[in-house]
Amino acid sequence: MIKQFAKLGLILAAFAGVACAGLAVVYVATKDQIAANAGKQLNESLKDLFAEAEEFAPESLESPDPAVAFQAAYVARRGGSPLGIAIKASGPSYGGDSVLLVGVGLDRRLVGVRVLENKDTPGLGANAASPTSYVDKAAKTTFPGQFAGKPISEAFEVKKDVQAITASTITSRALTKIVKAAGGAAGSWLERLAGGK
Amino acid sequence: MKRLWNIFKQGIIFENPLLMLMIGLCSALAVTTSVSNAVGMGVAMTFVMLCSEIMISAFRKVIPNSVRIPIFIVIIAAFTTIIDYVMQAYFPELSKSMGVFIPLIVVNCIIMGRVEAFAYKQKVPDAIVDSLGMGLGYTWVMVGIAALRELLGNGTLAGTQVMPASFQPILFFTMSPGGFLVFALFISFNIWLKGRMAKAQAAKAGAAQEDAA
Repeated sequence: MIKQFAKLGLILAAFAGVACAGLAVVYVATKDQIAANAGKQLNESLKDLFAEAEEFAPESLESPDPAVAFQAAYVARRGGSPLGIAIKASGPSYGGDSVLLVGVGLDRRLVGVRVLENKDTPGLGANAASPTSYVDKAAKTTFPGQFAGKPISEAFEVKKDVQAITASTITSRALTKIVKAAGGAAGSWLERLAGGK
Repeated sequence: MKRLWNIFKQGIIFENPLLMLMIGLCSALAVTTSVSNAVGMGVAMTFVMLCSEIMISAFRKVIPNSVRIPIFIVIIAAFTTIIDYVMQAYFPELSKSMGVFIPLIVVNCIIMGRVEAFAYKQKVPDAIVDSLGMGLGYTWVMVGIAALRELLGNGTLAGTQVMPASFQPILFFTMSPGGFLVFALFISFNIWLKGRMAKAQAAKAGAAQEDAA
């Protein structure tokens, strides 16, 4: 009886071992490419927000909103003087966490918002990341696009000063909340910057 | 050859996993909102099914009956994770839009069902043909449903605008109830098609009998 169990266990272990070895090979083969993809996307978005910046220095910031987590923050500099700050922030949305990159300039206005990750319903909430889905068809403004140039002191309330994505109020509110939290943190960073130097 | 062709044919219409066996529907309804997602899901499913069926059919004599389910899951999970990594590395956009549904292939009943009912009992060539037939049967239905839903619900096809600008997208088709409706239309179509084909076959057999008489 024990012998039979041991035999079954060994066979199962053998299959699992071979599967693990196969997975390890594929993991090593694709690891660098996956990391490069994520890094490339972040880099492109940073350059897109601060086209004039020469370097992006990591900075640590605290999120003012417990529901929104800051994954990273980068100070955009040109010739040693800061141009603004970009915050990579994540928060819960309709289909899991969404990750945004929020850029704020020295004039206390949003430079822009880029959607890095969004797992919401394709055709509805996922339109937040679509470059051809407009919240304002006449002006051709996308949902993240409408934040560009907005002062961080505004209310950030969906259906008031923020236009919602059609039939996706939850996504719109969730993303706006992330933008607001990042804007608030950038505001206090700017105050420290002005006071400290 | 004829035997293999018959196995292949089964998956496409007569035993179509989605329309006749009606298994694996959850992810099928969830990702059919755009054609590119449907193609990605179809290819990923076919790949995992093909590899798993080959492995299980090849090793069917050494897999003990009492631990076959855990071994199936280990094999299917390994191939699913492989395709997940490959998609993340080389098709990051597609991988992002498919989200959680690629890892969920592990517990997709189509693969589990075919492995248990077919590959574990049949030779390797039969298993290969079965997995390709089932994979193609799955993919054409996915792409068909997705094309209709994307066209009506978003006015686009595989991401390009095809409807005139004046067309107001019918959001209903993008959401789950629309998915069920389109899916039901496909089931009715398949049943009608199957009925016609069976009738044609019966008529042919009848004619042959008369000739003989």
